[in-house]
Amino acid sequence: MQVYTAPLRDMRFVLNELHQDDGFGGLSVHEEFTQDLTDAVLEEAAKICQDVLLPINLSGDSEGCQYENGVVRTPKGFKEAYDQFVQGGWGGLVMPVEYGGQGLPEAVGKLVEEMICATNVSFSLYPGLTAGAVTALNAYASEELKAAYLPKMISGEWSGTMNLTEPHCGTDLGLLRTKAEPVGDGSYKLTGSKIFISAGEQDLTSNIIHLVLARLPDAPKGVKGISLFLVPKFLPDADGNPGARNGVRASGIEHKMGIKASATCQMQFDDAIGWLVGEPHRGLEAMFTMMNAERVGVGIQGLGIGEAAYQSAVWYAKDRLQGRSLSGAKYPDKAADPIIVHPDVRKNLLTMRAYNEGCRALGAWVARGLDAERHAADPEVRQRAEDFVALMTPVVKALFTDLGHDSASLAVQVYGGHGYIHESGVEQYQRDARIAMIYEGTNGIQALDLVGRKMGAHMGRLLRSFFHPVSAFIEENKGEGPMQKMIEGLEKAFGALQLSTATIAEKGLKDPEEAGAAASDYLRLLGLVGMAYCFAKATKIAGLQLFFGTEDKAFYETKIKTATFFFEKILPQATTHFLAIKAGKGALMAFAEDEF
Amino acid sequence: MKKLCVIGAGTMGAGIAAQAANAGVPVLLLDIVRDAADRNSVAAGAIERLKKAEPAAFMSKAAAKLVEAGNIDDDLGRVAECDWVIEAIVEKIELKHALYEKLESVRRPGTAVSSNTSTIPLERLIEGRSEAFARDFLITHFFNPPRYMRLLEVVAGPKSDPELVARVSDFADRAMGKSVVRAKDTPGFLANRVGTYWLQAAINAAFELGVSVEDADAIGGKPMGVPKTGIFGLVDLVGIDLMPYLKASLTSTLPANDPYQAIAHDHPLILKMIADGYTGRKGKGGFYRINKEAGKVKEAINLNTGEYTKAAKPVSIPSAAQKDLRALISAPGVVGAYAWAVLGPTLAYAAGLIGEASDDILAIDTAMKLGYNWKYGPFELIDRIGGADFVARLQAGGREVPAILTLADGRPFYRVEEGQRQYLGADGAYHAIARPEGVLLLEDIKAASKPLLKTASAALWDIGDGVVALEFTGKMNALDGEVMKLIERAIPLVTEQYKALVVYNEGSNFSAGANLGLAIFAINIAAWGEVEKLVAGGQKAYKALKYAPFPVVSAPFGMALGGGCEICLNADAVQAHAETYIGLVECGVGLIPGWGGCGELMVRAAESPKAPKGPMPPVAKAFETISTATVAKSAANAKEIGYLRPGDGITMNRDRLLADAKARALSMVEGYTPPTPPVFRLPGASGKTALELAVKGFRARGLATPYDEVVADKLATVLTGGDADVVDTVTEEQLLALELREFMTLVRDSRTQARVEHMLTTGKPLRN
Repeated sequence: MQVYTAPLRDMRFVLNELHQDDGFGGLSVHEEFTQDLTDAVLEEAAKICQDVLLPINLSGDSEGCQYENGVVRTPKGFKEAYDQFVQGGWGGLVMPVEYGGQGLPEAVGKLVEEMICATNVSFSLYPGLTAGAVTALNAYASEELKAAYLPKMISGEWSGTMNLTEPHCGTDLGLLRTKAEPVGDGSYKLTGSKIFISAGEQDLTSNIIHLVLARLPDAPKGVKGISLFLVPKFLPDADGNPGARNGVRASGIEHKMGIKASATCQMQFDDAIGWLVGEPHRGLEAMFTMMNAERVGVGIQGLGIGEAAYQSAVWYAKDRLQGRSLSGAKYPDKAADPIIVHPDVRKNLLTMRAYNEGCRALGAWVARGLDAERHAADPEVRQRAEDFVALMTPVVKALFTDLGHDSASLAVQVYGGHGYIHESGVEQYQRDARIAMIYEGTNGIQALDLVGRKMGAHMGRLLRSFFHPVSAFIEENKGEGPMQKMIEGLEKAFGALQLSTATIAEKGLKDPEEAGAAASDYLRLLGLVGMAYCFAKATKIAGLQLFFGTEDKAFYETKIKTATFFFEKILPQATTHFLAIKAGKGALMAFAEDEF
Repeated sequence: MKKLCVIGAGTMGAGIAAQAANAGVPVLLLDIVRDAADRNSVAAGAIERLKKAEPAAFMSKAAAKLVEAGNIDDDLGRVAECDWVIEAIVEKIELKHALYEKLESVRRPGTAVSSNTSTIPLERLIEGRSEAFARDFLITHFFNPPRYMRLLEVVAGPKSDPELVARVSDFADRAMGKSVVRAKDTPGFLANRVGTYWLQAAINAAFELGVSVEDADAIGGKPMGVPKTGIFGLVDLVGIDLMPYLKASLTSTLPANDPYQAIAHDHPLILKMIADGYTGRKGKGGFYRINKEAGKVKEAINLNTGEYTKAAKPVSIPSAAQKDLRALISAPGVVGAYAWAVLGPTLAYAAGLIGEASDDILAIDTAMKLGYNWKYGPFELIDRIGGADFVARLQAGGREVPAILTLADGRPFYRVEEGQRQYLGADGAYHAIARPEGVLLLEDIKAASKPLLKTASAALWDIGDGVVALEFTGKMNALDGEVMKLIERAIPLVTEQYKALVVYNEGSNFSAGANLGLAIFAINIAAWGEVEKLVAGGQKAYKALKYAPFPVVSAPFGMALGGGCEICLNADAVQAHAETYIGLVECGVGLIPGWGGCGELMVRAAESPKAPKGPMPPVAKAFETISTATVAKSAANAKEIGYLRPGDGITMNRDRLLADAKARALSMVEGYTPPTPPVFRLPGASGKTALELAVKGFRARGLATPYDEVVADKLATVLTGGDADVVDTVTEEQLLALELREFMTLVRDSRTQARVEHMLTTGKPLRN
């Protein structure tokens, strides 16, 4: 059964307690957002997610989207849910105030996103894509375009999409073929096909604003000849309302493994009218602004599903009676003990729990970076936040989605044979989670981004934003005391990360394949250290709370237990990845192609 | 040579006079009388300009005092005081003849007279002169600027006295630091003959093939081993108006069948540029210009239209072609076509000069390398293409194959045989490359032997007579743990089997210091332990060198900065090339010297006989030098600053540096005892307060940034001995520990990190 109650206490912990010393400033940059207000926002978000989005998750999966003659119908209840979502103002939660958004910090917004993804990841894509399009337009579009489109997109009345992929080009966008011809009045006519366009067509909004990559007639070859265009489904009339139908149509939808309630469309552009966003041939830059923001968002999808999977599995492990505890019956009055008595089931559950809490804590830190890079008063802080976000974006995307999928798979495992049955609800999690490891740049691409671009940028400056706080924390808390063992564990994993970083930087300079061979192990190692750091910090805070006395004793005690589990049962994986990195590319490249 | 006279105080004459003064020889500089009231004004004005020249013409203040101004009307008689008279007046034969006639009557017989002409044959210069004058006469052709360009072309006539020519050449070599190349008395001699052809061929090819200025320089610059200015950039630098002048001079003197005659044509666009004042960097701009109105945009001229547009990103050179000349000339499209259009004819022309202008491929290669800053000489370039391929390409293009190439018959011009570097002579046989006495090159030793020890960043070589050379081999000769590792391993080896060690290499600079790229990466990943190991390890290795039971001589040249300076400070003696730019520049990147530089500089300051007594003066002197990141502008200047000791040696000729350093090391072997570790009496907190006050003053005057003040504070802590009291003594070890401690504090400061990163990415200091 799909079970979800938003983990509000832990969310408040990562938002208000865990990262106050990260130098990014408090939420003070948004002074009007007091803790009372953010608490209320989180509670309200929990309600709509639990009450509106969760009930249509499994049914939406069963029903899927339907396509007929260019029209896409979302599953039953989606339109009503979307209307409620828009009325509640949730679409514009973190959006710019000047265009009607509420301007909440990302640190809050990402937690709300987690709830949305936990309850209905298919649904999350509709407002999610709009948010990405708004980000790109806000950064690159002309004032005219912004004024005409942003308010309606931010309110949720209209939605947004991003059109990159074509049948023959995905990761390698240099091969892109869609053409844009200037009309002469400042607009362009676009012709071409796109595939895998999430929310490319749907019945939720009165207009759909497509952001489309295409080539101008004089465009240079490759990625330096790609421009970005805004192409509305309906051209706005004189009053700014949807007018004439534009030459963009969905020619079909994909039949997918998961996220079935999200319409993944094939799009056909036939002399579709559009407007240039940003400078000619600089479209990729604009698209990457959107993409980078989206990548963090995709990571959050992994976390959301991981949390839902965990809660659903816990419910089942307590409910399912089967066999007896190895140390003797725990519930002699019942026919059998619930399976939660078994160490291995517990290990599965706690693995999921530790992944979720670790990712949530790390994600909250990165979200604070997102706020600080935009709003911090001190340019040095802004720079550091920007470095941190750039470094951690691929980590959040790949680590969170890998672990989210692992959690979903573990949930199926806890359910046993029932988990393999659609109606149990947990196999949907695994199918829904799978795409997050692929889209917005596969996790393999994320790892390459980390070792190939982020690691060496500015002589390794980006690394500083992560390595220095971790190193300082270890130095401050080293030595005898209740934290000793944990700090030693962190220090060891951190040492492995430092050594791996130096090794990859050195070897990768001479031989990029060495960096490529180490990339995904390295990303995971960095992620493990990041989570370990967050857990160690959390333990310290919890310890102090318990020492000085707190009303929330249970929360902090459990937090320390989760952290201890992480350090004892998960963090040892760091050694595995370290050894794999150290081994180099040899074993991978030794194979001739015909040996495969 | 006790005294020189230079006649003609133009750019060349004045520069030659300055370089002679740099050699420590008094010089009489004469020019015409322009102002009856101030009869020496022309020469005196030239000396004043020399003092302000950039790059500096004089190596020290003392050198500047050695040049005396005079005038031809009153002072020509004083050439009798001189052993060598260098004529560097305008290139007008009648004026030169008139001067020589006067000289003949006043000079002492046996006084060498040479002309710095670049265009007039010697044969014509001595027309009408006595046998005695002709015997003492030769051409000495310097290159501009005379201090920095190492080439000297010497042309002797049939009547010239070989002994006198040798005497002049030897002085130019040892005292003035020039590499002497003998040329025959043919137009343009060697470097300008090939160089002018090259520039003309390159310009013609750009017009003919429709290659843009930017592309031409991208193809014809770095990939060919030519300075990255390329061809058009170089012409802008030397002056476009010089081109017709060079052309006229060569076309009028070369025989009609010389291949240069066929290519020497004017381009209307270039003539128009000159007429309009677009003569290059000295004029309104040249092939490139900086458009200030458009916001300092670099623009390039379109060779077809004559219009300036924003300099375009040049054609990309395939990576293989960036290093491999064969790949460059075979590259598809404009890259290969232009490269061959320049190289083919130019190298063939150079090869065709053998026999006529020189009998010696070495002379032509040296001339182009030292006179035009080519990385490789024409024959070395042909070797890189492959002689047989080169000939085949010439033939395919219907070009005549020069005799020397036929003689070579596909064999390389240079080879290493049994550890000996050899060249192909005009007789078709290989000959050993003979180095003059007193010239010892590591490149020869490396060709002939294997290193005694080797790490990733350093090597140790046996340079004969019981002496070893420690060579830095890392990128840009950067210093890192691998260098220190080699030092530690070298010490027992040298102790047991050798007599002395010389620190030396033949890179473009001695060393610009520690590998900051490595350091900043370690800092960024918070590998503090590694950083500390690097600093402590360097201290240990340098001190081990200092106290090793054998003499250590450091032989810097070019840049010797930071750790490159400190290895010199820790040596028993320094034998420096005259062009050594040494300094402790750590403060520029927010650090302090970490490998013993602080203590060593104070030791030197304290030794100075001029230093006032008491603990403060050496501290203040070292503080001033280090906190302002002072870099010496020459070896002589380094003595003035205090980086070098008065007794340290200076070698004028780069090629003689290793032999001089080795000789110095050997001279110290007999009865050598390692130095006694210094004990410092340092002023402690009160001294630090005084230094802080000084820094605050700098801050107030806007000369120091806020972070300069922080760095200076750490430096002051070290130099004043930390918590020391004047009555305490501080050992060298304690001072090193203090140096390490303060260094590590700075390393952790984000402002230091920003400075290091900025330096590495932009090459400029960050003033935060």
